[in-house]
Amino acid sequence: MADESTFARTARRLGVAWCALLALMLSSLGSAYLKLGPWNLISGLVIAAIKATIVAWLFMRLRESGPLIRLVAVVGLGVWCILIGLSGVDYETRSLTPSAVQRPQQLLSPQAASQPH
Amino acid sequence: MTAATLLEPKDEPDIGKLGMWVFLASEVLFFGGLFLAYLYGRTHWPLGWAAASRHTDVVLGTVNTALLLTSSAVVALAVACEEDARQRRWTARLLALTAALGAVFLVIKGFEWHAEWDEHLFPGPSFALDVAGAQEFFVLYFVMTGLHAVHMIVGVGALAILARGRSRDREWARSGHLEVAALYWHFVDVVWIFLYPLLYLVQRHG
Repeated sequence: MADESTFARTARRLGVAWCALLALMLSSLGSAYLKLGPWNLISGLVIAAIKATIVAWLFMRLRESGPLIRLVAVVGLGVWCILIGLSGVDYETRSLTPSAVQRPQQLLSPQAASQPH
Repeated sequence: MTAATLLEPKDEPDIGKLGMWVFLASEVLFFGGLFLAYLYGRTHWPLGWAAASRHTDVVLGTVNTALLLTSSAVVALAVACEEDARQRRWTARLLALTAALGAVFLVIKGFEWHAEWDEHLFPGPSFALDVAGAQEFFVLYFVMTGLHAVHMIVGVGALAILARGRSRDREWARSGHLEVAALYWHFVDVVWIFLYPLLYLVQRHG
């Protein structure tokens, strides 16, 4: 059974993590109002990754978990990274080639398609 | 390497926890395809993506993010209370609070969808924005937030049932099951952590 100090320590740790998550959320919100170009996306994703790590490490208890559970957690993420990498190689190296069912506008190049009609 | 070599003798494999982690790994791939579609759209139609994102309600999105982060912390505290006999009386209340926060999230999301429907932001012939890619953004917006909401409904239901069971001291609402349900809830939170900047914060300064 956990003693009082163990619970108090856990509760304090959860409280600090919660405050950090809210602070990160606000920093993510603030960064979206700055003109950072492609760094808007990167900063948003980096902050989200830090928040997800806090949730996984402390709330989901990967910190206390054995290697088997940590391995399962990493494998899911790793397989997704491999799949997204392989898919990216395909999509990013081809021009837009719509199928017969797609609208004519989608035959436009990405640059032209980004312009207002 | 076998599972046996990865385990210390003291670490008895907790089948419930391990099973939930395997399920969550499959969920990463489930949502992963949508995130790939999102990245493709954002890199190919950056202007359309930015214009469409500015039509999402950033205030409600931020409030919902705070609600979900808070609910995750609360359910983690509920699991910690369950493990300490002197704090166990708080477990059911904290689980109920988590489910309530999730329900408020869903209500706010419902208001958001309703407003977006009224503003003709739902993809279709009367779509309001005339920028290439904007409609594709909202296709993904509704699919991703809709799927997330389905997961939320399952989570709110599970936590509400566990809160009721725990308050009546039922055997099935004890520590092991609580931790498994909490893992699921945290995962739903993690998905939203990524949806928030990707859907609401594409380019607010424009």
